[in-house]
Amino acid sequence: MMLQKLLLLSFLVFSIGLFGVLSRRHIVALLLSLELMFNSINLAIISVAWAHGWLAGVVVVLFGIAITVAEVAVGLSLFLLAERIRKTTQTDDLSMLKG
Amino acid sequence: MPLVAIILGGPFLAMAILGLLPPLRRTGRPAGYFSIACIGASLVASVLLFLRFHENPEPWTREFLWAPFSQWPSIHFGVLIDGLSASMLAVVALIALVVQVYSLGYMTDESPGSLGRYFAFHSLFAFAMLGLVASHNTLQTYAFWELVGLGSYLLIGFWYKKPEAARAAMKAFWTTRGGDVGFAIGVILLWAASGSFLFQDLFHQAETGALHGTLLTLGVIGLFLGAAGKSAQFPFHIWLPDAMEGPTPVSALIHAATMVAAGVYLMVRIAPLLEHTPQVAFWIMTIGAFTAILAASMALVARDVKRILAFSTVSQLGYMMTAVGAGGAIAGYFHLTTHAFFKALLFLAAGSMIHAVHSNDIFDMGRLWKKMPVTGVYFLVGGLALSGIWPLAGFFSKDEILIDVWAHGHPVAFWTLLITAGMTAFYMFRAFFVAFFGRRDGSAHAHESPAVMTVPMGVLALLAVVVGFLGLGGLIHDAMHHSVSVTHATSGLEHPAWIPVAGTVAALFGILLAFLGYHRRAFAPENIHRAFGPISTLLERRYFIDDFFEFLYRVFYLGLSTLIGWIDRYIVDGLVNWLTWITYVIAGWFRRTQTGKAQDALYAIAIGLLILVFLALRF
Amino acid sequence: MTDLLFWLFAALLVISALGVVLCRSLYRAVYCLASALIVTALFYLLLTTPLLAAVQILLYTGGVLTLVVFVIVMTAQTDDNRRWRKPVWAALLAIAVFIVLASHVGDLGVSPATGGLESGKDTGIELFRTYIVPFELLSVLLLAAIFGALVIARKEEGS
Repeated sequence: MMLQKLLLLSFLVFSIGLFGVLSRRHIVALLLSLELMFNSINLAIISVAWAHGWLAGVVVVLFGIAITVAEVAVGLSLFLLAERIRKTTQTDDLSMLKG
Repeated sequence: MPLVAIILGGPFLAMAILGLLPPLRRTGRPAGYFSIACIGASLVASVLLFLRFHENPEPWTREFLWAPFSQWPSIHFGVLIDGLSASMLAVVALIALVVQVYSLGYMTDESPGSLGRYFAFHSLFAFAMLGLVASHNTLQTYAFWELVGLGSYLLIGFWYKKPEAARAAMKAFWTTRGGDVGFAIGVILLWAASGSFLFQDLFHQAETGALHGTLLTLGVIGLFLGAAGKSAQFPFHIWLPDAMEGPTPVSALIHAATMVAAGVYLMVRIAPLLEHTPQVAFWIMTIGAFTAILAASMALVARDVKRILAFSTVSQLGYMMTAVGAGGAIAGYFHLTTHAFFKALLFLAAGSMIHAVHSNDIFDMGRLWKKMPVTGVYFLVGGLALSGIWPLAGFFSKDEILIDVWAHGHPVAFWTLLITAGMTAFYMFRAFFVAFFGRRDGSAHAHESPAVMTVPMGVLALLAVVVGFLGLGGLIHDAMHHSVSVTHATSGLEHPAWIPVAGTVAALFGILLAFLGYHRRAFAPENIHRAFGPISTLLERRYFIDDFFEFLYRVFYLGLSTLIGWIDRYIVDGLVNWLTWITYVIAGWFRRTQTGKAQDALYAIAIGLLILVFLALRF
Repeated sequence: MTDLLFWLFAALLVISALGVVLCRSLYRAVYCLASALIVTALFYLLLTTPLLAAVQILLYTGGVLTLVVFVIVMTAQTDDNRRWRKPVWAALLAIAVFIVLASHVGDLGVSPATGGLESGKDTGIELFRTYIVPFELLSVLLLAAIFGALVIARKEEGS
């Protein structure tokens, strides 16, 4: 019972994050929404692991967090570079691959 | 049998070698010598064959399996040597040789390469014609028939850079091709009805009644259509006058003596079948007689000497067809052989005259008798033979036809032919008197032709004289009696004695009229010409038959082509263009999804995720 | 008791999430994200993994968010002027995804609700025994990330 509620909750947050990723215009805002989605998935994994007693779940989430850290670092540095070159923070302006 | 191999193999060899080896062909005269040597060998072999047949007059065949079938009788390649084919082989080989030798002297303006091509085509034609004569089944005849047509096309259009020549070649090919369709259908119908292509099988089955009725009739009609096309019977006659665009030796060989005779030869070959289809035979006779008088009428007003001879050929072919249709196949064939000699002679003489005056028009010639008496004599001999004056060959053959037609009870055809005989004599001597004794002096540059041209003519003239005289005609008749195509003896029939007299009288009348009009000027033919204005125009314009066919061609064929061209350009291409356009448009729609913005791609990913999860958890 | 806590934390999480997505100012969005992460850490506590809760706060909130804040500070424009990009489509899609995912939650059956994730020592043993290889690889990955970030974002030297 608890598990289902937890999962529903995490899916809800996931969907909210998805909405943000799809509709925000500022790149950093997009990244923030993305973090939200990652976080919700971590919660889901831990919920399932807690329900079954699988320690592997904790390990997986630890790894996930580490990877997320790396990804955020690189992503932010890319954003800085893009802003420097394109002088913009809007996602719509980064359309060099158009067509 | 080995003789047959030489007869056919000679020209085939010449054709193949000259055709495949351009270096040899481009030598010109040496190529000509080679071709002449081959056809000479053919002639020797065919004369030997004829003599051998004369000693032992039993028809024989040799065949090789070509297309084996299990359900039907197989197709064979074979030769049939009987009186008819043995004699015809000799005639064809002789005239081919004579013409090729003459060509050496006539075609002096040709470049060596061109001359080589000329002789290659001559060999091709000789091979095809000889093969046609020797065939023992309808299918093989058809194959060689087509090949002969090809040879004719190539030689008429030999000077292919001249537009008239190219057009004439096409016209000849198209017209004969139309008849050939009928021929093919006839071959197939006869095969379907009888199960065999062999002539002897067909004759046997017709005799026993196994081959009868509609199929037989239609089959014979089909074969006659092919013959009518090749032998220029009405309404297929339109191509022959135009075929005069080819070199004169070609006209002599193909369009006087051999190829056009192929149609008559075919009809003679299948004479046994004609006996069982009297309605078709009647039509053959009627069309033949009509063609004879029609062509003769057009010759009356022609100015070009080759055209006069061409119309004359059509007319004489009509004579032969009339004979065959009336039941006198032997007479028709005999006339074919004599006609071959004197018509070829006339054409070669005409070649001399044209060469001397550099014009085909007889009214540009005149007083040639003084400068080129040898040619004049030859032309005279040919003219007399054609008019049927005793004792030249034409008298005997024409006479026999008249007798046969009368004896089989066809008075209308008989009187038609008799009147035509008068017209024939008239227009031949009109040409003779105008060209050799005419007022206008065209003889300025005239000179007698070299021996290489006069000797061949002499050979032909000699034959024209002696065939009737010395019983060479008798040889042919004997041969014919030992032919598979002759089932009943038809010569020596009962006839009123006045028929030969009537023929001669008609001819003499025609000659007299020409003499008075064109030599003595007792009356002025030009006035008559003008007085009969509309009729003259009709004759000169060849009864507008050519124009009619031209009209048909333009309207139907070109019209259809234009229509199809339009369809191709606008509908077919339009469809293809539309397809490319629509592809472009649709692609454009899809291209808009590639905005280059990451979030739009995320949409795609999200939707994909949706679908995947849905499917995964569903199933 | 746990139920009450669950609902409380759930509400806080959802509100924070909405805040991240809807706030106009980036600063506010970051603040909401921080709160969401912390609430998640509280969830981890509830689910008897204090180790993970600690890691969450230290690394995730303390590390990642700090990075983000630094970057925002360096950014010229921190407000979304025209805010949404096709909000209707995005909302529809998000709702659809939620529905599809949620509709299958019921398939899981009764949860055992055992807990037993609390032992940090056991986690550590798992980490260094069964998962030692991924662990080492992860360290390489982090090294690469550090260098990558440095190289990408450094200032051009006259090129």
